[in-house]
Parts: sequence; C-alpha cells; structure tokens
Amino acid sequence: MAKATVDRTAPSLFRQGLSPLSKLLLLGALSVLLMVLDTRLRLGAPVRAAIATALTPLQSLALAPVRALQLGGGYFASLQTAQQEAISARTELTRQAQRAAQVEHLSQENRELRALLGMRERLSVKAQGAEVLYDAADPYTRKLVIDRGETHDIAPGSPVMDGYGVLGQVTRVYPLASEVTLLTDRDQAIPVLNTRTGQRSVAYGQPRLGLLELRFVAASTDVEVGDLLTTSAVDGVYPPGLPVARVASIERQGEGGYARVLCQPMAHTEHSLQLLVLAPLSNPLLDEHVKPLVQPRPAASRATKHGRPGQEAPR
Amino acid sequence: MIMPAGHQQLLLPVRPWFIWFSLLLTLLLDMTLNMGLSGRSAWAPELVAVVLLFWVVHEPQRVHIGSCFAFGLLLDVHQSALLGQHALAFCALGYLGSRLERRLLWFSAPTQALQLLPLLFAAHALQWLVRLLAGNGWPDWAALLAPLTETVLWPLADWLLLAPQRQPHDPDDSRPL
Repeated sequence: MAKATVDRTAPSLFRQGLSPLSKLLLLGALSVLLMVLDTRLRLGAPVRAAIATALTPLQSLALAPVRALQLGGGYFASLQTAQQEAISARTELTRQAQRAAQVEHLSQENRELRALLGMRERLSVKAQGAEVLYDAADPYTRKLVIDRGETHDIAPGSPVMDGYGVLGQVTRVYPLASEVTLLTDRDQAIPVLNTRTGQRSVAYGQPRLGLLELRFVAASTDVEVGDLLTTSAVDGVYPPGLPVARVASIERQGEGGYARVLCQPMAHTEHSLQLLVLAPLSNPLLDEHVKPLVQPRPAASRATKHGRPGQEAPR
Repeated sequence: MIMPAGHQQLLLPVRPWFIWFSLLLTLLLDMTLNMGLSGRSAWAPELVAVVLLFWVVHEPQRVHIGSCFAFGLLLDVHQSALLGQHALAFCALGYLGSRLERRLLWFSAPTQALQLLPLLFAAHALQWLVRLLAGNGWPDWAALLAPLTETVLWPLADWLLLAPQRQPHDPDDSRPL
C-alpha cells in the first residue's frame, strides 16, 4: 500500500469537496424535485412518513413544555371558572340526554318506515377517539395533527368531528400520527343540507375569517341567519345528519344575483383537544358519481368562469 | 498574527458536539414555539434558520449547505408544509451566508445582523414564491415580520453560541509560574 504522503494526497485543509455553488445547485434541484413529487405526482408520502416517524420522539419532547404550560394554566384557573364549566357541562348533558332518548325512538320508527318502503338500512358508522397533538405551523393551511395513525387503522379521507360538529377530514396518514385538514382550510369543501329548507349546497373554507362560505347561492334563495347546516351524505364520505355550521351572515349585493352566505362552524376549530375519527362511508353506488364534489381540485374550485360579481373571496 | 488592539477577542476552538447539540436544541425550541403558538402566526421566527446561518458563518468547514438541506426537510415535515420548501430556502441561506462569511466576522454583532437582514428576507421570499407557484396564495401580512424577528435574534444567538468559546483559557495550576 502506498504511503499517504503530502505529495500523494492533499491534507484535509485543502480537501473541501464540491464548491458551495455546485452544492447549492445540486440540493436546490433536489428540493425542487421533492416539491414536484409532493404536489404534482403525489409521491412524497413515503419520504414524509419516514421523516415524520423519525421526528415523533423529538416532537413529543418538544410538546412537553407546551402541555406543562397548558396544565399549569388550568391548575391556577379560579375555582369559579371550574364550577361554571361544570354547570354548563351538566346542562349540556341533560339536553343531550333528552335528545338521545328521542333518538332511540326515532331510529326505531325510521327502521320500520324504511322496511315498509323497501329502502336500504342506514349505515352505522365506526368511530374511535383521538387526541390533538398540535396545530400544524404552516400558515397557508389549517391543519391539525392527531395521535392516531396507520397502526390504529385510520384511513385517509376519514371524517373527523369534535363534541359539537364536523371538524374536518383526515388528509395524510403516517404510521403513528395523522393530519386532519379543517373545514376552514382554503381547499376544503363539504356538501351540506339546510335542515330548515332541505336545500343542498357545498360549504367552502374561508381560512382568513375562520368561517365557511356557501357559494353560488341565488339571492332569492330561502336562507336565514341561524339556519343549521348538516352533512347531506351525497358525498359518500361524511355520514348524514352531523351538524356542520350555522349561517352567520347573508349579504345580498345589488346587481349580483348571488348572495354571500358565511357560516360559523359548529365544531371548535381553534382549540379542540379530544376528537372522534369516523370510518369513511363506503358506498360504491355513490362513490363514482359524487367523489369529485367532495375534494374539488384547487384549480377547479378557484375558477371564476361562471362570472360571479360580488362573490370575490376576501384576500 | 498581529491583532488590532480593541474589541477583538481571541476565541477558543469550537467543540464539534456543541454545534450539533445547539442545532438539535434549536430544532426542539422551534417545534415548541410552533406548537405553542398553535400554528396561526406567520410572524414567528425560524429559530433553526438563525442558528444554521450562525454556524455556516462561523464554522464553514463543519456546517455547510448539506446540513441546511437536512434541517429544512425536517422542518417541512414537522410543519406539514410543502416538502422541500424550507430545504430550498435554507440551502440558499447557507450559500449566501458562506459567501458573506469572510467579510461579516469583522463587524460587531448588531452590524452583522443588519447585513444579514436581506439574506433572511430572501430566504423567506423564496418560500413565499414557491408557495405562490404551488397555488397556495399569500399567507398573511404578518409574514413580513418574520425576517425582522430573526434579525433581532442574531445578537442574542451570537452571545449565547459564542459563550463557550469566550471562556478564559483554563490555567494550569501545577505550573510553577
């Protein structure tokens, strides 16, 4: 073996590898490739899942001080607040108990009526509890990360709700965690049913306001502030009848012909901790027809080809 | 070497483990900050960017663009942002930092911060551009504050991260003189 002398190999001081510029070009090209894989080809999932799993212990370590602060804040909150919360919780429980008693009766009646009409049975939906780990820090989107993943049989597309209504949909599943896109996200849409009038429409997210918007509602449509919107089940994803939002404001602009309807989500989108992940309905009959409605492509949902004056989303 | 008399202080050599320890700790802090602010704050500084830039400027032999890429990718996944968005921005930041490195160290920390403001702004602008091209629009006007908060943190990073190297050389007690 030849001896490593100064005239054969350069000393480590001069061995610098690639120049910074070529490194930048190489790694920049790699980043752009990753972006294309992630957005256009949808192939970024394995890379993401691997890194996310490796990051999980670090994340739980980083989350510890946040949890400690939250717990500490709760510990020092006054007794009065705690008592008030307990009272309101008990009131809510009583109200729901009364409704639950009705549900037993109504579902029995519904089953019999459906049998009479020769209709299919209503599907019962599996659900499992989950806890919110943190809100994703990306300021462009509205997402949560929950502590259930592929190992807990979470499927992509599963509806997620909290104690008050539909919160969103599972959009990415990692082995130990999942990402939930909130209804208020820019690219999220949910088919809804106005319980007062029975009219169907689609509610789109309004992230800036933290609200939902009904688009293409004719100015003459019967919508009132306070109307409850529930899931309509035409999508084959969300089970029917879950509360989604309440109409908060209606603006009928002069010559527009369309009304701008903003709705307040029923679910607590800002600080919910305990969630329920439902199994997505799998109705093959509905799937092929209505799937495009559930997750419209961003480009299609943003298109202004219908010419909707006075319908511009606030930026 | 002839040193000008004045503020310049001879620093001890850096310990390699301290570089990686500080980067890891900053990543943890950054995650805590992100999760504590519940993800609605575009103005929050990227602590990792500041510390990466610091080490690129002070130890270009040990921390280079490859490390910037790796930490950027970790942040992308953690924030569930576009994969490669932070990686690209941090690579550009690392490159620009390595170009400035020889000149920058002759200035005091606040002046350094002022000179680094355009770099940090460029790194953020690259991310805004990428997200705009990906069809995600504009995050928030508060996002313009992020490079500023990072610049303000530079003197603090300078003080904290150089503290171990500023310690006086430990004297040898057994020596007679």
